[in-house]
Amino acid sequence: MPSDGGIEGVQTYGDLARDHTTDDVDYPQSPPVGGDHDPKWMDCTGTVYEQPLRNENAVHSMEHGAVWVTYTDAVSQTDIDALAAKIDGQPYSFMSPYPGQDSPIVLTAWGVQLGVDSAGDPRIDEFLTTYRAGPQTPEPGATCESGLMG
Amino acid sequence: MKALTVAIAAVAALILGLVLGALLLGNETEPGDQSAEAGFARDMSVHHAQAVELAFIVRDRTDDPEVRAMAYDIINTQRAQIGMFSGWLQQWELPQTSVRPPMEWTDHGHSDAMMTSYDDMPGMASDADLQKLRDASGREAEILFLQLMIEHHKGGVEMAEAVLPLTEREEVTYLADTIVAGQQAEIATMEDMLAARNAL
Repeated sequence: MPSDGGIEGVQTYGDLARDHTTDDVDYPQSPPVGGDHDPKWMDCTGTVYEQPLRNENAVHSMEHGAVWVTYTDAVSQTDIDALAAKIDGQPYSFMSPYPGQDSPIVLTAWGVQLGVDSAGDPRIDEFLTTYRAGPQTPEPGATCESGLMG
Repeated sequence: MKALTVAIAAVAALILGLVLGALLLGNETEPGDQSAEAGFARDMSVHHAQAVELAFIVRDRTDDPEVRAMAYDIINTQRAQIGMFSGWLQQWELPQTSVRPPMEWTDHGHSDAMMTSYDDMPGMASDADLQKLRDASGREAEILFLQLMIEHHKGGVEMAEAVLPLTEREEVTYLADTIVAGQQAEIATMEDMLAARNAL
């Protein structure tokens, strides 16, 4: 079980499978926090995607140590821009819309997840600092380059 | 009674000295979260990662053995060095990344313009440059790769030279010195390769 990093509200999940599969995977969390995944990862070199991603590719990026920032259409454009400014060009980070998730903004890394209501929540920076290429990474030293570009 | 007072004062002074010494030594042996060493390790990791990506792309875009060998060398050397940077940060018990601005460590907060994107670090190729390389092939890809990598190496040398006056950590000065010398040598080689393609 990964550590919650002492950050209030972080949920932790252990015993996550990590086999490669080209099939669709039924993940119990939304967005998924880990599990079997596609052989190809999403580029996560601070990449801001405008469209929702395929879960199976995003999970592979988190196996490599990336933090995935997702948001619903309940989030204001101002907050989306603020989140994009935090993620764009930053190592081990990527961001995309995720319709239907429980919180307006969700931060996910392998086995850890935090929902917040606004881009100004100070726990966002704590989560990024703690988990980007953090100790929860199943494959330390893996890369975010040369992944799918959406 | 007077002897006892002197003895107590001596012991107190000794303890104070030990505590201060431990604090000073602690600062020297453990670079902090905003130290030049930590900033260099984090920023150089991002810089090296792009060199690895450029080199992988060109190996898919040309059959030229000389360019492919140079790319192979860069991939292995810089990927291994990324592991060293990451290992330092682990040893120093610091996070691998920071939400603070890139290159902040080079000026210790005296800069007027704060860098916001890692893409603005010295010598970094733009997303458009990367795409251009992916779309090129053969001689065109070789020339573009050499041009981008020469600029990238010049930036790498600049960053390694920036950390040298800011640290006395031997693992850092050792690796920074080898980056300066190694990348300068590769710049000269790549310029010869450009000249051989009438593109210098």
